[in-house]
Amino acid sequence: MELFDFYRKDRWPHVFCPGCGNGTVMNCFYRAFNDLGLPLDRTAFVGGIGCSSRIPLYINSDALHTTHGRAIAFATGLKLASPELKVVVFTGDGDLGAIGGNHFINGCRRNLDMTVICINNNIYGMTGGQASITTPHDFLSTTTPSGNKEYPFDLAEIAVAAGANYVARWTTRQVHELTKSIKTALQKKGFAFVEIVSQCPINFGRRNKMPDPTQLLDWFKESSVRRDKARTAAVDHVDLNLAGQITVGEFVDRNRESYEELIGVVKHG
Amino acid sequence: MRARPGEYFLQGNEACVEGAIVAGVRFFAGYPITPSTEIAEGLARRLTGTDEVFLQMEDEIACISAVIGASWGGVKSMTATSGPGFSLMQEAIGYAAMSETPVVIVNVMRGGPSTGQPTRASQGDVMQTKWGSHGDYQVIAFAPASVQEMFDLTVEAFNYAEKYRVPAFLLSDAEVGHMRGPLTIPDKIRIVNRKEKGIKRSDEAYDISDELVHPFPVFGKGHKTMITGMTHAEDSRIEPEDPKIHQELVKRLSQKVLMNRKDINKWEVMCPGSKTMVVSYGAASLGAMEVASQDDRIGLLRLKTIWPFPEEPVAEIASHCDRMLVCEMNLGQLYGDIKRVALEAGCRKVELLSKIGGDPPTPSEVRHKLHEMGAI
Amino acid sequence: MKPVVDPKLCKGCNICVYICPKKCYSRGTDISDIGYFDAIVDAHEKCYNHNRSGKLLCELCILSCPDQAISWHPETEEEQSR
Repeated sequence: MELFDFYRKDRWPHVFCPGCGNGTVMNCFYRAFNDLGLPLDRTAFVGGIGCSSRIPLYINSDALHTTHGRAIAFATGLKLASPELKVVVFTGDGDLGAIGGNHFINGCRRNLDMTVICINNNIYGMTGGQASITTPHDFLSTTTPSGNKEYPFDLAEIAVAAGANYVARWTTRQVHELTKSIKTALQKKGFAFVEIVSQCPINFGRRNKMPDPTQLLDWFKESSVRRDKARTAAVDHVDLNLAGQITVGEFVDRNRESYEELIGVVKHG
Repeated sequence: MRARPGEYFLQGNEACVEGAIVAGVRFFAGYPITPSTEIAEGLARRLTGTDEVFLQMEDEIACISAVIGASWGGVKSMTATSGPGFSLMQEAIGYAAMSETPVVIVNVMRGGPSTGQPTRASQGDVMQTKWGSHGDYQVIAFAPASVQEMFDLTVEAFNYAEKYRVPAFLLSDAEVGHMRGPLTIPDKIRIVNRKEKGIKRSDEAYDISDELVHPFPVFGKGHKTMITGMTHAEDSRIEPEDPKIHQELVKRLSQKVLMNRKDINKWEVMCPGSKTMVVSYGAASLGAMEVASQDDRIGLLRLKTIWPFPEEPVAEIASHCDRMLVCEMNLGQLYGDIKRVALEAGCRKVELLSKIGGDPPTPSEVRHKLHEMGAI
Repeated sequence: MKPVVDPKLCKGCNICVYICPKKCYSRGTDISDIGYFDAIVDAHEKCYNHNRSGKLLCELCILSCPDQAISWHPETEEEQSR
């Protein structure tokens, strides 16, 4: 399958700003999906609201573009109603961790078979650059004009604690590792979560002295640390994600029984 | 497995469970809330097949979202809640209206606002059902007044949700939900299934034109369906900036319900020729029902469908009577619409008996009010 | 194979210029039809995949390009001989 058989060519160029990391993730996702040879017609894509949540609408398959934050809840219903479908959720940091935080942790806990791709750009990009739950401490945004006084969430660690079967985090600078993790996630039975720290040059970088997407990619490269090599002090600290270092790698890979196996639901109709 | 036809003695909420199963519910997502919890409990015991799912979720927003998701998986799905949970669901109800998803939402109404009276009946969510989410849209809502109607109207809610691809509501209340009474499950029950894209069946839903209600593209059947809550063109292309596409879409969403009022509206009349008519629905009509059955000067128009607003039956009754009394267990939410239609139809006087606090208006309270109006 | 930038898709973010380990790309100087300074492939012979077909190496530019503007094309005979 060619790239533009997977994506809807008639919708190109897409809405994302120049240099946005969403497109990079789209490449890696296509590559992983295509390498596995999964059937596109048997895969449903769900998104919430936000830049990254628009991705399902570009994919040449069934797409459910839902309300803000509820993508995992919608996907839960869809997956249980048609267990034979593969369900992939595209979401962002605000959609998944802020307004949808409850559905996120409970989705991990329920361990339903779905792949959740979270593109974390550390900002609310679509609404013009407000601080999000992953904006690093002291960084600037339109709603934190004198620096963010809060500390960011670590979405991947939350997913581990909440019980997801597979959790990985990469940045858009590590495209090959990311592709590999998406492949593992797509094959995983149970809740698989891949967080991608991504660049938003227009609304995040521009306000934080990194207006060029390549500066953000360089920052990702400099601060990425493999999870097994992360400084212990930082791992214990709530602020490990971004301000000091970005822990990347596979966080967990386990095989708890998935929810639909546990309740024994099989194909409908 | 559905209950066998026959006679039963059940609670209202239990009758709702039986109705849902007869209608073909395959997915239920719920969150515990008084006074609707018995519906979730009942379905947790009943939806145990390998193609049936009962799911208790983390909140009501998740419930309605999962129910909409399940509907796109091609199954009949429902949720049940009460006041505070219903308020949480409003955004997704607007999504269901915009994306034309057939879902059934049972609201066993309790006294509000806020936490209010969790164990007492109310009809305070009548306007919220119609106007709760932002933007213009139409829904279908039924108000049962007995255990039998909890069953019958649950089936109808599924039928009309499927037929018109809209969210349909069963607006029960703590009184009817917790009432115990006889239930007859007939041999033959009308069941409507949705019009599916690419499948031709001899079902009632196929009688509606495809321009008004598009065939439903089930996920996973190769339709490459795109479903969005944003303004979208016929081919689901997102077009949030185009005024014409938005007008056409939103008008069609309303028209498909309003144009079919005759099909959807259900009501019951007692003593139709009376010069004084009481108009009521749900538990509020119980007192008036007794009055009308004992006094032939008093008639009763009992609405089973409250949304879309049943203009025709109200106008018809109003044109033959002098006085109308509207009985509601709120501060007059349907009174405004009834008064407007009745006065236009030539009725001289329309008054309101409103009672809140948890108890339905008693027969003596209805008589007292009618006496004040000079009717008896 | 050589990378080719599609002027109808490129939004001139220059991620390819930054990411290419062999410096095959350089920043654009001319404005494209859709209004961006498109990146230029000015040294495709330095690419790992020069004169190569089958399984390709590196591919950092293709995987990173946010606008799906880069694709592999076979070299012309003249380009191969260089």
